[in-house]
Amino acid sequence: MANYFNTLPLREKLNQLGVCDFMDSSEFLDGVNALKGKKLVIVGCGAQGLNQGLNLRDSGLDVSYTLRAAAIESKRDSWKNATENNFKVGTYEELIPTADVVINLTPDKQHTAVVSAIMPLMKEGATLSYSHGFNIVEEGTQIRKDLTVIMVAPKCPGSEVRAEYVRGFGVPTLIAVHPENDPQGKGLAQAKAYCVGTGGHKAGVLKSSFVAEVKSDLMGEQTILCGLLQTGSILSFDKMVEKGINAGYASKLVQYGVEVITEALKQGGITAMMDRLSNVAKIKAFEISEELKDIMRPLFQKHQDDIMSGEFSRIMMEDWANGDKNLLAWRAETGETAFEKTPAGDVKIGEQEYFDNYTLMVAFVRAGVELAFETMVDAGIKPESAYYESLHETPLIANTIARKKLFEMNRVISDTAEYGCYLFDQACKPLLSDFMKKVDTDLVGKNFNEGKDGAVDNRTLIEVNEAIRSHQVEQIGATLRKAMTAMKAIKTA
Amino acid sequence: MKKPVVHITNFNLKFQDKSVLKDLCWTINIGENWLLSGESGNGKTSLVKAIANLIPHYGTVKINFNTPSHLPAVVHYVSNWYQFKDLEGQSNFYYQQRYNKQVASTTNSVGSELRHFGQQNHLNIDTLNPILVALGFEHLLAATLIELSSGEHKKLQLIKAIWLKPQLLILDLPYNGLDSASRRNLNLLLDDLVEDGTQLILISNESEMPSSINRFAKIEGGKLVETAEMQHSINLYTEALIPLPSFFEEKQWPASKSHLIKMIDVNVSYGDKKVLKNINWEVKPGEKWALQGPNGSGKSTLLSLICADHPQAFANNFYLFGNLRGSGESIWEIKERIGLISPELHWYFDPTATVWQSIVSGFYDSSGLFCDPGYTKRLQADELIHFFGLDDYKNTLMNQLPLGKQRLALLGRTIIKNPELLILDEPCQGLDQQQTIHFNKLIDELCKNGTTLIYVGHFESQLPDCIEKRIVLENGEVQVIEDILEAVSHT
Repeated sequence: MANYFNTLPLREKLNQLGVCDFMDSSEFLDGVNALKGKKLVIVGCGAQGLNQGLNLRDSGLDVSYTLRAAAIESKRDSWKNATENNFKVGTYEELIPTADVVINLTPDKQHTAVVSAIMPLMKEGATLSYSHGFNIVEEGTQIRKDLTVIMVAPKCPGSEVRAEYVRGFGVPTLIAVHPENDPQGKGLAQAKAYCVGTGGHKAGVLKSSFVAEVKSDLMGEQTILCGLLQTGSILSFDKMVEKGINAGYASKLVQYGVEVITEALKQGGITAMMDRLSNVAKIKAFEISEELKDIMRPLFQKHQDDIMSGEFSRIMMEDWANGDKNLLAWRAETGETAFEKTPAGDVKIGEQEYFDNYTLMVAFVRAGVELAFETMVDAGIKPESAYYESLHETPLIANTIARKKLFEMNRVISDTAEYGCYLFDQACKPLLSDFMKKVDTDLVGKNFNEGKDGAVDNRTLIEVNEAIRSHQVEQIGATLRKAMTAMKAIKTA
Repeated sequence: MKKPVVHITNFNLKFQDKSVLKDLCWTINIGENWLLSGESGNGKTSLVKAIANLIPHYGTVKINFNTPSHLPAVVHYVSNWYQFKDLEGQSNFYYQQRYNKQVASTTNSVGSELRHFGQQNHLNIDTLNPILVALGFEHLLAATLIELSSGEHKKLQLIKAIWLKPQLLILDLPYNGLDSASRRNLNLLLDDLVEDGTQLILISNESEMPSSINRFAKIEGGKLVETAEMQHSINLYTEALIPLPSFFEEKQWPASKSHLIKMIDVNVSYGDKKVLKNINWEVKPGEKWALQGPNGSGKSTLLSLICADHPQAFANNFYLFGNLRGSGESIWEIKERIGLISPELHWYFDPTATVWQSIVSGFYDSSGLFCDPGYTKRLQADELIHFFGLDDYKNTLMNQLPLGKQRLALLGRTIIKNPELLILDEPCQGLDQQQTIHFNKLIDELCKNGTTLIYVGHFESQLPDCIEKRIVLENGEVQVIEDILEAVSHT
């Protein structure tokens, strides 16, 4: 199978990369009607599968689950999840032929196997739904021409998808219709109805394309979301220990710091995050993040280039074929870092202290978010997509680090994200070694303001504020955040 | 003379620029066990939290453990609120979560929670079992925290406190959600503690209490006033109901059907455990029901089926508003016609919503408000806020308010859309007696024009007058279905 994106002429590449509309709530007035009375069969019953299914059924739709015969026979967790919530469960042979819509919610890596097993069983004119476009775009799977192919991707973990729905809200969702597979022109209507069924339409829906979703999603997760958070966390911890800061304190500061810092990012963008610092610290954080951007720009560009050319997925699929040799080695290596092995100390760190004593992370986050955003936009991805895949998701990933450090982050994200994260981390650490030599405990571990009188030059401060606020990610972010009316604040510290 | 155990002088407390407690003084001597009662929101909770050193305060609070005692020299406070976290340290739960089964458990089990508590406080595990038995909790050790009802969470808090056996034990509304047998057993356990040397401070408005209570007080004009007994209960008066906001008269329900709810052999089970067994029950439009039964008898589960909160509704034969459940309706279409309040709904409600947002969210059946309600609904909300006397708290966050005020706001949320079916599961938890009487009168008034009512309350004396029928559950089975008026006339 050939990489789908690479088979396209440039015109069509640009065309599909550039799809991105924030949909108006009036687009969802038809509710779930396009799926009403249709048979929805979900493949897989993990966290996404189960929680989306519960929501869809509660919205009045007919939902059942299909699992591999082995999973049913041995009563695996996926079977229990489905049956204990009173869903009908059957094998592929039993349920796929009856399905009007087959919703594939299995892990990325299984897509080729799953899709080739179910496609021959699907009835004429049915719909196949994905939550990630890797299989279509990078692996180039060809879907039968009579079938409609859509994507509905809630941008949150499965448990949140359920929690927000029963609260009467939803989570931001990305939808797409594959232009090669929309023979009846019903794809968009069905994707919208699906969004209403999971509650996503209340929290903001972005109309994207398979291509734009994959190319931006891969870029975001490798660079800012997972890659840089991992590199920044490990370097910060090691620096503190090297400079004699208590290891338990350092561990706690790093583990919970990203979450506290990016909560401000979530509420009010980079501006709000930087505004949590004192004026002196803000100017310093601005300066070093500019420096970090210059150092890391070539690496961010290389990742984007490899994603666009298909080189990234080629080498990753090589590793899949090789029994995940690199992935497993890197995973083990991450589990062995000093940060991972040092438990968070039993010390109280106040909310503001996370900003004052961890100015370095604020700089890392600003540099990473802006660089990822700029690199994506330069490569032809729309600013709205780039915003979602950089700034919007950073706090979500930071939460996973707060839970159980990097190991947990890498466990929660997809294998694809994990592979890309390690790739980035391997290259980024040596790149930053000269920079890190200059870093002292005023930037990480101790209060930056200590021993300083807090005076700043007015004009410098005005220039710095202007540069932060006028960045495109801030402008697009302000618009999109306004649309996501009620974001729940995650309790921090 | 020995120093008093607790000595409070010139204690002051303000809430939003209003003085709540003013130069309050209180001395608790050895051997004294106090009951503190009175209307909600007058500073009782803040006062005892200060004794437990949990909140900053103005004034002196001195604690002296000067008697030789084998009990731990600590003040233990059992809050009127419970909180727990998932395995990842977060507490982002929703009230329906315990009905949605997920194999990967998200919270600790009761057993491991108790073991952890025991280790932390160096407690002897052998002394735990009798407490579990007394409160009927042994069978819950394997349950996870998210699966517990609010009454069971309350028991877990009490079990920890009794197991700890501190020198000074403060209990803030400990009877909330407990059935009468559990209340009796709790009082016996507390008397045993006192025998062993524990001293009690109890905040409660109930007439039942441990027999070891020997001092009584209430808060009046910001000061502590000692009373001979639970004096406030004598002073209860029937306050005339101010007229209901006029929008309650504009009812627009669909034409009446033969039944609103019809359950035919309804069963709910988790694995081998049967929670509801062959329930047959029919509720006709306009009927007023009391639903009763001890803790764990299946009341909440039964109600969760009706409120479209339980996935096993899809495996049962039952009709809601004339439609077979699971025939293509969405849960929001069902919820639209129901006004619900329950302890769990309160517990998991968005604590960072304002009173106004909480009340308006009743129009949309959401936890927290996610849209602009528009002019008419705003007006209605303002009228209702005034009716409940919550004008001063309109923009206050729920978690800044005392429990009783939060409960009033949520009661406003429950009735604001003037629904055709009201489901009130222990609506008056956290309210004082005066508020309870007043609220039940309001329910009587609201239900005059054909509203259907299902009311859960552990005490006959606390039911609204309009109740005419009764269903009693025990161990998941219907024990009694009867017409109360008839039952009375037969005796």
